[in-house]
Amino acid sequence: MKEYKSKTQSETEKIAQAVVKKLQGGEVLALVGNLGAGKTVFVKGLAKALGIEDNITSPTFVLMKIYQTSHATIKRLVHVDCYRLEKVDDLDDIGLADYLHDPASIVVIEWADRVVNLPKNTININIEYINSQERIVKVS
Amino acid sequence: MRILAIETSCDETALAILTERKGFLYLEKDIVYSQVDIHKKYGGVVPEVASRKHLETIMPLLQHTLGKNKLKNIDYIAFTQGPGLVTSLVLGVATAKALGLASNKALLPINHLEGHIYSNWLTHQELQSNKINIFPSVVLVVSGGHTELILMTGHGQYKLIGKTLDDAVGEAFDKVAKLLGLGYPGGPIVSKLALMGNAHKYDFPRPMINSHNFDFSLSGLKTSILYFLEKKQKINQQDVADICAGFQLAVTEVLVKKTFLAAKKYGAKSIMLAGGVSANTFLKQNLQNNADKLAIPFFAPEMKFTGDNAAMIAAAAFYRLKNKKARLFSGDKISKLEPDANWQLVVK
Repeated sequence: MKEYKSKTQSETEKIAQAVVKKLQGGEVLALVGNLGAGKTVFVKGLAKALGIEDNITSPTFVLMKIYQTSHATIKRLVHVDCYRLEKVDDLDDIGLADYLHDPASIVVIEWADRVVNLPKNTININIEYINSQERIVKVS
Repeated sequence: MRILAIETSCDETALAILTERKGFLYLEKDIVYSQVDIHKKYGGVVPEVASRKHLETIMPLLQHTLGKNKLKNIDYIAFTQGPGLVTSLVLGVATAKALGLASNKALLPINHLEGHIYSNWLTHQELQSNKINIFPSVVLVVSGGHTELILMTGHGQYKLIGKTLDDAVGEAFDKVAKLLGLGYPGGPIVSKLALMGNAHKYDFPRPMINSHNFDFSLSGLKTSILYFLEKKQKINQQDVADICAGFQLAVTEVLVKKTFLAAKKYGAKSIMLAGGVSANTFLKQNLQNNADKLAIPFFAPEMKFTGDNAAMIAAAAFYRLKNKKARLFSGDKISKLEPDANWQLVVK
């Protein structure tokens, strides 16, 4: 497990960029943290590192948004948000089957604690809100 | 011309039949089956449940809507192709395709947001009669999933001039309600409590109010309320009402200011409000007051058309047909139609 401290939005984005360097494609990133912890900020950092030009907006309402990257091997960032979901037994319920295990995609799931069966290769990212000046990001 | 419209983009199953009478739109049928009570207990929409519910309700609703004439008097079948939840959209799309294949009537895929914009035409006869020139119109689209400023230069012609960079307005209301331990959906609850609060007691930020563009950011406002609650620690009922009022005022001020800056820049002949948050009386009143000062006509949909409905989809289809901007699908082409969950009405 790696632990990072973040004092600003841009520091959270930089942590996300460090995480991207270790990705090969096909991974699932499970983001957990309360409202206002900085989950979407983290995803904005992922998007920047993958060379996505589109602005990342909250997928809360539509549950899933897909972005094309300009990365050499990872072609898509699939941004999922389970905020509105009660316990989901299966990620297939939200139409993720096409992208899980796809080596050209990275799937990042906000509020991942609301999904019951995450795949084995899932990378857990916990963003803990300490106070308005500090967040702790744990990657495991 | 008689249009059957089908809307299943989220958690309402809706059908409508629209025609024209004496130069005005006439709704022969307008049915909305809402699943909100089913989803309330989950605190949001459950896609799998929504999908199954659409499947259960759409056939009985269709039979009821069409009656014994079935499709005999229908000329076109319009349906919501996107944006929305793909698991919900697919039911409406499949129904439209089946009807189209079986009947040989032409299908018209409609964008859900365009539908919301046309809820204004359903509401206001002066828009239908075409007597006043309203274009270009600055349209503020605000809902649970959208916050966009659109310049409408004519029927079916849109230009995106601003959008949210993070959360949508309806979503911000929902999340603030959650932070305050209130129920779901958050919009109506927060605006009701705001009536009892002092909007000037606490000062929340107006994100991007002075940015030199028409974009919005609401995520930071939500976070500022989180910080505020942390600092304050104990809050009573009056505090909750004051926070709701202060939050609503902050959101409204940003929306109103940018809408009218856009109106000035683009020489708007009218202002329109659309989407689920158009049910918010405080926002509507503030837009109206500003429009009155500048003597620009302001339009908002009547309450029953603020939520998702099929009548607005039929109205959008009607004006596309009338202005020869309809994309029609029939015969073999029908099989190619699929839901488009991320369909952008306008691309910058």
